[in-house]
Amino acid sequence: MAFIEFKNIGKKYAGAERKSVDDFNLEINEKEFIAFVGPSGCGKSTTLRMIAGFEEITEGELYIDGKKVNEVAPRDRGIAMVFQNYALYPHMTVEKNIGYGLKNMKMPADQIKKKVDWAIDILGLQEYRNRKPKNLSGGQRQRVALGRAIVKNQKVFLMDEPLSNLDAKLRVSMRTEISKLHRELGATTIYVTHDQVEAMTMADRIVIMKDGVIQQVGKPMELYDHPVNKFVAGFIGSPQMNLFDVTVKGDKITFADGNTFPLSESVVKKLNGKEGEMILGIRGEDLKMDASNLELYSESRQKAVITDTEVMGNENNLYFQFGGCQAVARVSKYEISQVGDEIEFVFVPSKMHFFDKDTEMNYM
Amino acid sequence: MLTKKQKTFNWILIIFLLALSVFFLFPVIWMLANSFKSDAAITADMSSLAAFIPPALKGNYFENYITILTDTNFLRYMLNTLFYAAVLIVLGIVVNGLAGYALAKIKFPFRERWLLIIMMLLIVPTETVITIHFLIIAKVGLLNTVLGYILPMIVNPFNIFLFRQVFVSLPDDIYEAAQLDFCGPVKYFFTMVLPMSKTVVATVSVFTFLGVWNDYLWPSLVFTSSDLLTAQIGLNSITSNDNTTMGQVLAVITLITIPVMIIYALFSKQIVEGVTSTGSKEG
Repeated sequence: MAFIEFKNIGKKYAGAERKSVDDFNLEINEKEFIAFVGPSGCGKSTTLRMIAGFEEITEGELYIDGKKVNEVAPRDRGIAMVFQNYALYPHMTVEKNIGYGLKNMKMPADQIKKKVDWAIDILGLQEYRNRKPKNLSGGQRQRVALGRAIVKNQKVFLMDEPLSNLDAKLRVSMRTEISKLHRELGATTIYVTHDQVEAMTMADRIVIMKDGVIQQVGKPMELYDHPVNKFVAGFIGSPQMNLFDVTVKGDKITFADGNTFPLSESVVKKLNGKEGEMILGIRGEDLKMDASNLELYSESRQKAVITDTEVMGNENNLYFQFGGCQAVARVSKYEISQVGDEIEFVFVPSKMHFFDKDTEMNYM
Repeated sequence: MLTKKQKTFNWILIIFLLALSVFFLFPVIWMLANSFKSDAAITADMSSLAAFIPPALKGNYFENYITILTDTNFLRYMLNTLFYAAVLIVLGIVVNGLAGYALAKIKFPFRERWLLIIMMLLIVPTETVITIHFLIIAKVGLLNTVLGYILPMIVNPFNIFLFRQVFVSLPDDIYEAAQLDFCGPVKYFFTMVLPMSKTVVATVSVFTFLGVWNDYLWPSLVFTSSDLLTAQIGLNSITSNDNTTMGQVLAVITLITIPVMIIYALFSKQIVEGVTSTGSKEG
């Protein structure tokens, strides 16, 4: 049985025209690390707050460890939460912030001290234990917030965009720390973020949401390689997947700018007779420019002129106009090109996705 | 970097403000200096600069003060007032603070209208309300009791408004975090909200103290027993007594002024911060 179970969960605020969360169904296993991802206003934080009990569930049932918790007070749900703005108690020291919950649980003082010491050690806060939050950096505050969550031994950790206020470098190191903590503590974790890189690098499974509705649930690479619709395809991955308006007739694909090439037999077979206007999706790294691939997939060979480049260090992103829109190819750092250079590239057939023009669902 | 012109202007401003301060302080200095003198010494010289200089420290230097503190009940009146102020500060923070918190953070029907009504009470003259308070207190038989004096003084619309303005800017996620830390709403108010709002708590405490210390009308209506009287009534009865000398009058005025001056000296920063912060988002 799932550890956390959402059954047709919905949320409609009084006076709102549409539901913020609609027909949310999900099963989360014990010790799993789940990330809710989506753009602002997609309902991910609302869902998290419904789990915490800070938002009323207006439809459906929520179960934690087999117990229906719709009407259960936040404190009795067995959860700990890390907030976006840390929500530390400003008048308390690091030590007191971390131990406050334990004190309220009426835990004996020596045990509180032991637990707080453990959390402070594990989070590397030894030299800050007597400081107040205003005298800590963003990263240190975030650690205190984590400490406050982990000492209580709760069954479920909720994290609401915990890294969004940190700078890029710190975010990367905290990402690793949170993942490590999750592995060590083994608590079921639900992590809300709008940053797909965080979700991809940390989560066992990702839930992608849009307009209050789940778009796809799956392991990071499942979502990356097999997006169910155009939204997921565009949301996951950086740079974004190339999406071209195309027309398919038989084995011939024609782009909006008139470029055309024959589709491979395997692609035609996967399309299963579907023809007409549709959207072709292909990731930047699946537009190949190296000699062997140019030869291997020569039937789809195309030409374009580079309009912009992004040197990432480990790889390069080359931007060019193709198919009536801007496209990007992700190439290795050794494939150096300049703005204005003409490039030749091919499409890797097995990595092509075709989305319905109207429903935007993936045909493959 | 200040220009020479700006520096000169600043110096002129400082000198002008210092002169103005001295002008306003003259009566206080005169009062202080003459509170140590006998009536004869006071009347002997009332106009020269020497009238502003205390006498040399010798003999019966503190006679006026000793007479006031030993021969009258003024010390008791002062202690009474301190006690009333302490009780009203504590009760005022709890009651007005809880009301302010409810108006700031708890959703209930017509919340904004309640706030409007409370704010409207600010423009009602105290004397109007005092008449009603007096009639009620008399009706329930609490005249000449500490409870009768304190009860109508606890609720203060201005303090409720001050608290509300500060509490409204407290982040909600701290309350949510506290809930997950097993902290109930009442405990949250006392262990989180009040400590996080130290400035407004200090401001309200100072205002309450000054209000009680300087209040004359309400205690003079409620109290008839001399055991319960406040310092201001004591001051009035001592100064209007024909047997009291001018030196003693000045001594008693000095005694009643000292706590107010100490409070202002200690809490002037909080008073200014408390009042100004209620209009800003930071709280």
